[in-house]
Amino acid sequence: MKPMDLIVYVVDDDEDCRSSLSHLLASRGFQVQAFESGEVFLRLANTGRCGVAILDRNMGAVSGVDVFEELQKRASPLVALFLSGHGDIPVAVDVTKRGAFGWLEKPYQDAALMAALTNALVDAATIGARHHAKHEAVARWATLTPREKEVAPLLRQGLPSKLIGKELHVGWRTVDTHRANIFDKLGVANAAELERYMRDNGL
Amino acid sequence: MAQPNRSSSMSDTAVGLPDASPRTTWTSRVRWAISILVAALLVLLAGQRSERTEHAYQVHALKRAIEVHALGLRGEASKYAYLPFTAAQHPDIVATLRDPGNAVLRELANRYLEEVNRRAGSDALYVLDAVGMTVVASNWNQPQSFVGQNYSRRPYFIDSSQGRSGQFYGVGITTGEPGLFLSVPVREGGTIVGVVAVKVNLRQIMATWADTLDPVMLADAKGIFFLGSVASWIYQPSRALSQEDLAWLERHKVYGPFNAFVPVPWAVEQVPGQAGYLLKTRIEGRERRLLAVDEALPQLGWTLTVTSDYGRVLAARNRTWMVGGLAASLVLLGALYWQLRERRYAEQRNARQQLEVRVTERTQQLSDAHAFRKAMEESLLVGMRARDLEGRIIYVNPALCAMTGYRADELIGKLPPYAYWHPQDTDKHKRESDAALSGDAPATGFESRIRHRDGHDVITMVYTAPLIDGTGQHKGWMSSVVDISDRKEAELRETISRAEAEHAQRLALLGEMASTMAHELSQPLTAMSNNANAAEESARRGNQGLLLDSLERIKAQVQRTAGIVRGIKDMARLRTPGMQACAMNEVVVNVLALLKPEIRMYRAHVTTRLQEDLPLVTGDTVLLGQVLLNLIVNSLQAFAEDSTTPREITIHTTSDGSSVRVTVEDNGPGVAPAVEAHMFEAFFTTKADGLGLGLKNCRTIVESHQGRLTFEHRASGGAVFILQLKANA
Repeated sequence: MKPMDLIVYVVDDDEDCRSSLSHLLASRGFQVQAFESGEVFLRLANTGRCGVAILDRNMGAVSGVDVFEELQKRASPLVALFLSGHGDIPVAVDVTKRGAFGWLEKPYQDAALMAALTNALVDAATIGARHHAKHEAVARWATLTPREKEVAPLLRQGLPSKLIGKELHVGWRTVDTHRANIFDKLGVANAAELERYMRDNGL
Repeated sequence: MAQPNRSSSMSDTAVGLPDASPRTTWTSRVRWAISILVAALLVLLAGQRSERTEHAYQVHALKRAIEVHALGLRGEASKYAYLPFTAAQHPDIVATLRDPGNAVLRELANRYLEEVNRRAGSDALYVLDAVGMTVVASNWNQPQSFVGQNYSRRPYFIDSSQGRSGQFYGVGITTGEPGLFLSVPVREGGTIVGVVAVKVNLRQIMATWADTLDPVMLADAKGIFFLGSVASWIYQPSRALSQEDLAWLERHKVYGPFNAFVPVPWAVEQVPGQAGYLLKTRIEGRERRLLAVDEALPQLGWTLTVTSDYGRVLAARNRTWMVGGLAASLVLLGALYWQLRERRYAEQRNARQQLEVRVTERTQQLSDAHAFRKAMEESLLVGMRARDLEGRIIYVNPALCAMTGYRADELIGKLPPYAYWHPQDTDKHKRESDAALSGDAPATGFESRIRHRDGHDVITMVYTAPLIDGTGQHKGWMSSVVDISDRKEAELRETISRAEAEHAQRLALLGEMASTMAHELSQPLTAMSNNANAAEESARRGNQGLLLDSLERIKAQVQRTAGIVRGIKDMARLRTPGMQACAMNEVVVNVLALLKPEIRMYRAHVTTRLQEDLPLVTGDTVLLGQVLLNLIVNSLQAFAEDSTTPREITIHTTSDGSSVRVTVEDNGPGVAPAVEAHMFEAFFTTKADGLGLGLKNCRTIVESHQGRLTFEHRASGGAVFILQLKANA
């Protein structure tokens, strides 16, 4: 997926800023969707999509930081780019540490905005790809039987089949069969790969 | 202030009074007693001296009397002394003695003697022979004739028979009549043949003496009184006689039958240093004190005692005493009078001095009062002007002169229009002056602009009251004129400083809102930037419609920016637009626009309920906006940081036709009672960095709009501020 095809959400309660920004970005060929407040955005936007969320720091009841925190809670792949009316360095540092992409101070230079947005979209594409892979890995994991899901963690530790069989009170051949099925379903070649698979995908 | 002085001087005066002090009285009494004693002593001495003088005078007078008496006695004696001598020379007498038996001769001699005796006026003239027998006598033919009588024992015969002249006083043996007997011898050829004697009666002297008031006594050599004015003393001795003397008297039959010689009751007292002596005796049963002087008459061998009543001396003494006493009394009385007069004078002097002191004090008080009044008048900053009923100036104080620039003599006596009337306000001055003169001046005074002589204007406040003299008569009008130019200036200054305070507070508000303002500005700037870029993009792509759209947006955002900038400018300006008709709804909207970022920052929600067709009010939009801004910012700041309840602020405007109300209501924590009592005071703040001028300024502003700013507790928690202004008609 090309970065330009990714969605750009503009969340700003200032009508002028919001509409002018979405107008500008749209005119430059970005996929833009604008929301007049954090609540509306969180309620209506598909936060599972890859893309960039341009969040205004100061909004009425739900601020940009609130929205960012909610997105993280939702494990959204959206990259957050903050806009702020005035410099608020501690908050900027804080959210950046926590994974926000960047912080732009209004009124920003057009070039700075475009650079930040472009980079953010690249990030978003990467995240999107990774997200996509993970999504598939999780989907593959979901195809495992419950017995296989029991065996997999033991395999990942590099335990021999006999020991696993003894643990699960089954024969080592049965364990071997499970291993073959797990490796096949998950597309891994050995226990070390299984280990990385499970770790990367948080299983 | 002169109270203690006066009281002390009064006490001084009391001490100064002569009889007020017991000590003085005592001294005075002693002085008086001494004076009286001395006076008495002097009178006594004077009396004694007078007594002595009188005594001496009386003695002197007695001596004069003695001389006279002695002269009389001697005269009486000497008058007849020649008689026996002459008779002794007569031949008939000698012849008769030669031949006593010759009757013719005796007859002749008797007739001769009788004739001589008759002519001389003597008692008897007679001749004794050598043995003392009377041969012839002048009384030869009378019953008690001496002829034939023998007088040989009589002392005068004895003396003369021995050749001497005889002299003897005694009582006649024949006649029993006392008399003075004088005798001479008759010689014949050197032989004494007989004696011629004459008896002289001293009755005439006796008669003279009988007339004297005081006894005059004649004593013989033995001290027996034989002649005198006191009949009972005759033939009595003044002292006891010796046996020898008594025998002698008996022998010579000196006083005939009178031979009981009882001494007269005399008590003699010598007065030292004085002639004469004091005699205390009794005459005719009456005690007498006599001053007596004795004079020896050696020719006669007698002693004459002349007396005068010692009463005279005593009377003189007493007189002196009396006069002296009187004089002393007079002197003492005079002294007493003098003292009383002195005392009265002293009292009068004291009274006068007291009066003088009082006059001095009074004068001092008056001059003090005068000086006090003068100082007061001169220190007064208030001008005082008194006018008579016609408006003629009769008094001005220095302050008024200073205020107007005219000297007192240039103002006094002048009638309106006065020199200091402001030329542009002449009518007003005339009106006010007439009103004041008719008693219609407002009690609260009136403002009057006057023109100082040097041309500058003085704003004054004039208060007029009736001028009533000491008799209660209405004499004119007294005006106090206060220079309020400074106050006017101060009022102006206060207005300016109030404006400055409000301005400072607005700036503080702006400062508080600076970051949100900046944010607020950044919004349209950002939008403009976006739109400009979009326009560029559209232009590049040849999309005319989008380009125009972008430019349109830019214009709107410029307007928005300008609005914000204007708001800030209005707030930051010292000079506000001033009173004008303004719509409160518009003020609310403008304030909320300015506060929008602030409200957003506080995540508060502001609801407005603005009454349509709200009447206009007269006010300063910026100042009224400042009030609302303050109230809303206070509400925002009152919300607790961590509050989870939605922050609600409600602003509504209402009107009942006569007034316009703007209420700012929040659901915050409200206002604590302790805070409520002071929140409108200056420098009262609950904020860490607050100036404490916000609500104070709000109220000042509202009051300067003749409005009211009040606070109420919101029923369900929170604060309600109510701004009430008079609606324009």
